[in-house]
Amino acid sequence: MPSSDSEDFESADEGQTHTERKERKKRLSSSNYSENALESDSGPKETSTLTGKVEKPKAKTTDGWDDFDIDNPEESNTEVKSKEPSPKEEKQPKAKEETQPKAKENVKSQDTGWDDFDDWGQDDVISKNEMEQTSKPVNQSSNQQQTDRDIKEVTDRLASASTKGNSWGWGWGVDSLLSTATAGITTATAGFTTLTSQVSQGISTVLESGIGAPDPEELARKNNKEADTSAPKVEDTKPDEVKAKEDQPNAGANDGAFPFGSLLSGVTKFVETTGTKVIAGGLDTLETIGKKTMEVLQDGDPGLAKKRAMLGLDSGDKPVLSQILREAKAKAEEEDKVREEKREAKEVHYENLFDDFEGLVHLEALEMLSRQVTMRIEERMRGLDPEKRQDIKETLQQVAELCEMPEEDDEDDEPPSEGMSKPDAFHEKLQTATQDLGLKLVFQPLVKQYTDVLDWLDSSDPDIGEKAVYKRAVSSLAQCTALAVLVYHKAAEMLLVKPRRSTADEADALTQMTVVLTKHISELATLFTEKLNSISSENKEQINNHITNIFLEAGNSSTYIQNAFQLALPILQIGAV
Amino acid sequence: MAYAYLFKYIIIGDTGVGKSCLLLQFTDKRFQPVHDLTIGVEFGARMITIDGKQIKLQIWDTAGQEAFRSITRSYYRGAAGALLVYDITRRDTFNHLTTWLEDARQHSNSNMVIMLIGNKSDLESRREVKKEEGEAFAREHGLVFMETSAKTAANVEEAFINTAKEIYEKIQEGVFDINNEANGIKIGPQHSAAGGAAAGGAGAGGAAGGGCC
Repeated sequence: MPSSDSEDFESADEGQTHTERKERKKRLSSSNYSENALESDSGPKETSTLTGKVEKPKAKTTDGWDDFDIDNPEESNTEVKSKEPSPKEEKQPKAKEETQPKAKENVKSQDTGWDDFDDWGQDDVISKNEMEQTSKPVNQSSNQQQTDRDIKEVTDRLASASTKGNSWGWGWGVDSLLSTATAGITTATAGFTTLTSQVSQGISTVLESGIGAPDPEELARKNNKEADTSAPKVEDTKPDEVKAKEDQPNAGANDGAFPFGSLLSGVTKFVETTGTKVIAGGLDTLETIGKKTMEVLQDGDPGLAKKRAMLGLDSGDKPVLSQILREAKAKAEEEDKVREEKREAKEVHYENLFDDFEGLVHLEALEMLSRQVTMRIEERMRGLDPEKRQDIKETLQQVAELCEMPEEDDEDDEPPSEGMSKPDAFHEKLQTATQDLGLKLVFQPLVKQYTDVLDWLDSSDPDIGEKAVYKRAVSSLAQCTALAVLVYHKAAEMLLVKPRRSTADEADALTQMTVVLTKHISELATLFTEKLNSISSENKEQINNHITNIFLEAGNSSTYIQNAFQLALPILQIGAV
Repeated sequence: MAYAYLFKYIIIGDTGVGKSCLLLQFTDKRFQPVHDLTIGVEFGARMITIDGKQIKLQIWDTAGQEAFRSITRSYYRGAAGALLVYDITRRDTFNHLTTWLEDARQHSNSNMVIMLIGNKSDLESRREVKKEEGEAFAREHGLVFMETSAKTAANVEEAFINTAKEIYEKIQEGVFDINNEANGIKIGPQHSAAGGAAAGGAGAGGAAGGGCC
């Protein structure tokens, strides 16, 4: 169907089928029909304004449907006349339940549109007679083809709907019916008329009895009234209507209880006695129903924007399940990767390790002390006259100068004394450096850590991966630094409670200790980089990376240690003022 | 170690009441009858779970000696919880509580949760301070009270965890501003990375976590 008209038709049609499905589901939720009619009431009441929107696609669709109307002579006057009133008629059955007067207003207009229904009623009873009328469109083969396509589409949709979800509640009757219909259409064109009529009749019967379509009984009665006033036009149909009235109550009255009985019986009858008129009628009904459901759905939702969005019908952002799953999988993989990398990074993350070894908390405590003492010094100075204040400032400056780190170009230390292990030599250096501090500082943890590192380097598997060496290197540096910071913290605390202060000695001792500790850090870094270099790995680049990082962290360690030393400065200074 | 929050605790009280032993029992689940005198402050840490959240308790175990008093005072700042400990077998440790409490209130933030602990409850025969007295003191000063034994571990877990629960409740109530580290609460690195259900959320990061990556 290349024309834009047909496209429009399709979209309108699509809307119908979807909305129909919805309608069915809605019905399923409530077994009581009349209750349902009330529920959907709110829609049609306002439809008079909304119909305009529905009308648009509708009007276009009539291109294809015109021909069908021809076979209803009494209807062929104007297309618009037959179409337009129909939405109003929708009101009819409901209004009947609520406001009778309103219903009467509509009686006239309603009639024209719903003649089709009555005709079916006739068909039900006196189908043979109607064959005369139906013969006309059958001859119009070109129209037939058009209808063929249209109907096929409708049935296809219905069939697919039925196979997609059995939950729509029509039971096996319609399911099998529709699939039969579809199969019939695709395989045998000869049987097309029969089958489609079967389908449309089946649907119309169900719709009549089950959906919000007008009660045939009621319609018949209305028509009767109409017939009384404008008799000549509908003369021949009048008796049929009466008959229909007699025959059809089961369809209308039993709707809630057993709508399929009439459906099935109707279907069986129609297998034998089809007519194209029925098709037309059925399709008209479908149209009407579709229209109505569209109206209901569009109530307060012009253009169905919200509902389409809800159902994900807009092709633009229509989610595809496989796509979503693929994306979710990719996302999960990405997250896993990131998490793994983070975990790895954390394992060798210097700051984290430094925190785990309590370096950070000691630094924090030392900082608190330092700040406290600085405040005390300032407080002391505030109460003094300017001259004395200047003296104190000079003293503070002198202490600060004492604590300046010596130049790095220190002559290489004399090699450790004979017969002394490296850790012991380290311990002795620390002891010597802090001799004049006048405190009993504990260096055992530092010495032990050094011993552990040396042992590990000696005993570790020569084939150990560069990664393991690197991890150990960073961890050792962090631990050593944490222990060093602890020493500064303890020294500061002990200095503060030291009864007699000798600031110059203390400053000198702490400076020396800082030198020893920073040298120790570089010693550790060197040991680990030597170990890395000794590893025979083809991944030289990685090893170089690790070596660079180790020296970087060693520098980091030295900075921490010197920071700790600087934090201890006010504690030294306060002893002098 | 990833955690949602880090709470800073301080343990205060006279020397020899068993502060370090309480800490050791809580962190290492062991009792050490002979203990070096604490110099300044020592640290301990343990992870606990409250309301499904990992919380790291960072405990500052202060020296009880009078000489360190001025030093330990500078550590009060930034504590979310305090365990004020006395020895039920030494009345003087109970009598000093008021001084300790004044010190704590003066040098810490006003929202700090204080738990009063009568330690050495295993030494019933040598008891000098009745449990009711402890309860009365706690009631009078708005503290939570508990008698513990660092030796038998009785109530040790509860003392630390109940304090944490109270702090956690205060966070939920919005009493504590978790983004102000002066309150003794830090948001864990994991927590801030995840966006965090708690107020504030990211940002604080906390010195403890470092700016991971």
